[in-house]
Amino acid sequence: MTSDVILVLVIGTALAFDFTNGFHDTANVVATSISTGAARPQVAIAVASLLNFVGAFISISVAATVANDVVDSAVITPTIVFAGLIGAIAWNLVTWYFGLPSSSSHALIGGVVGSAVAAAGFHVILAEGLLGKVLIPAVVAPLLAFLVAGASIGLSYRIIGKQRPGIVSRGYKYGQVVSGGLLALAHGTNDAQKTMGVITLALIANGSLGAGADPPVWVIASSALAIALGTYSGGWRIIKTTGTRIIKMDAAQGFSSQGAGAAVILVSTHFGFPLSTTHVINGGVMGAGAAKRLSAVRWGVAGNIIVAWVLTLPAAAAIGALAYGFTSLFGDGAVGPVVVTVLSLGAIIAAFARRAVKGAPVPVQSEGGVRA
Amino acid sequence: MISPATIVETRDLVETVVYATVAGIGVTAIFSVAIWGAARFTDLTQEDRRPAAAVAAGVAGVALLAVLAAIVFGVIVMTRK
Repeated sequence: MTSDVILVLVIGTALAFDFTNGFHDTANVVATSISTGAARPQVAIAVASLLNFVGAFISISVAATVANDVVDSAVITPTIVFAGLIGAIAWNLVTWYFGLPSSSSHALIGGVVGSAVAAAGFHVILAEGLLGKVLIPAVVAPLLAFLVAGASIGLSYRIIGKQRPGIVSRGYKYGQVVSGGLLALAHGTNDAQKTMGVITLALIANGSLGAGADPPVWVIASSALAIALGTYSGGWRIIKTTGTRIIKMDAAQGFSSQGAGAAVILVSTHFGFPLSTTHVINGGVMGAGAAKRLSAVRWGVAGNIIVAWVLTLPAAAAIGALAYGFTSLFGDGAVGPVVVTVLSLGAIIAAFARRAVKGAPVPVQSEGGVRA
Repeated sequence: MISPATIVETRDLVETVVYATVAGIGVTAIFSVAIWGAARFTDLTQEDRRPAAAVAAGVAGVALLAVLAAIVFGVIVMTRK
C-alpha cells in the first residue's frame, strides 16, 4: 500500500515535470518561427503542442536509455525517482523564473543521478550509459547543430544568390511552417520519452514491471498529453531570449536553424540519445547567426545560456540529493514524499503568485547578458 | 576495466553526426533550390520567357518533392525502430 502511494506520487510528479518541460521548452520550439514572422504566436504554439503529442508516439529508444542505462535500476526505489524529479522541477522553475533556456533533460537526469547517489552511493551510476549516451552526446549535439545550421545557411545564400528578397523571404517562411513542425515533432519524441523512461524506471523499482521493460502504452499516452499541454501553456518569457536576443534572424536563418535542430534531434533520438533539445535548438540558432556575421550573435546572452547549461546537471543533482535527504528524514514510508509534494506545491504557487503581482516577467538586456 | 571505446558508443555517435549533417544540410540546400526555381520562374514569366520559366518551375517542383520525400523517409525510419 505504502509503495503504491509513493508510486502514484512519482507518476504524478513525473507528469508534472513533463508539463513543466513542455512549458519551459515552448520557446525553443516556436521562437524562430515567431521572430521571423513565419507564424502567429497562437498558431505556432497550438501546432507545436499537437506535434509534441504526436512525436511522443514515434519512438521509445530514449525512454529505454533513461530507464535502463543511466542508474542501476536494481537499487533504485520509487522514493529516489521522486526526489530526482523534485530536483529537476525545482531547477526548471528557477531557470524559467530567470528567463534562462537551460535544459529540462539534463535537469531530469541530474536530479535522478543526484538522488540515487545520495541514497546508495556513487556505484549506482552506470558510467557507460551516463557518459556514452548522455554526457558526450550532450556536448556533441549542440556543436553539431551549430555547424550544420552554419553550413546550411552559407549554402542557402550561395544557391539563392541575388534573387528578389520578397519571394525568397516568403518561400523560407512557408518552409518554416514545415521545419518548425519537424522541430516540434523532434522535441516531443525526445523530451516526452525522458518522462516515459523515468515512470518506467519507477514501475521497475516498484516491481510493477520487469527489468529492461519498455514503457506501457498508458505511460506513453499520458507523457505525450502532459508535454503537449505544457507546450500549449507556453513559456513566453523565454521566447524573447531564444527568438530575438541571441540573433536577429531572417527567414532563411530561421529555416536553417530549425532544420539543423530537427535533424540532429531526430537522428539522435533514433539512436536513443536523451539530448537537451534546448541546447541543440540554441546551437542551431547561434550557428545560423554566426555564419552570416559573427557579431550578429549576442555572445553575452549566449554566454549566459551556456553558463545555465553547465550549471544544470550539478545543480539539479544537488537539489535531487537534498530532496532525497529531506524525504528520508520521515522514514521509508509515504510520509516524506507527501510532505515534500505539499511543500513543493506551496513553493510553486507562491512563486507564481509573486510573478502575478509583479506582472509579466521580461528579461532585461544588460551588457553582460540577460538579467531578471 | 571499461575501455574508452566501450564507454563512447562510437559507431552510433558517428552515424548520428553523418546522418544529421547530410539531412540538415541536404534538405536545406534542396529547399533553397526550390526557392531559387520559384524566384526564377516569377522573373522569367514577367520577361515573357516561357520555356525557361517552365524549366525553372520544373526545378522548383522536383526540389520541393525531394524535400517532402526526405522528410517522409526520415519519419518512417524513426517509427521503424
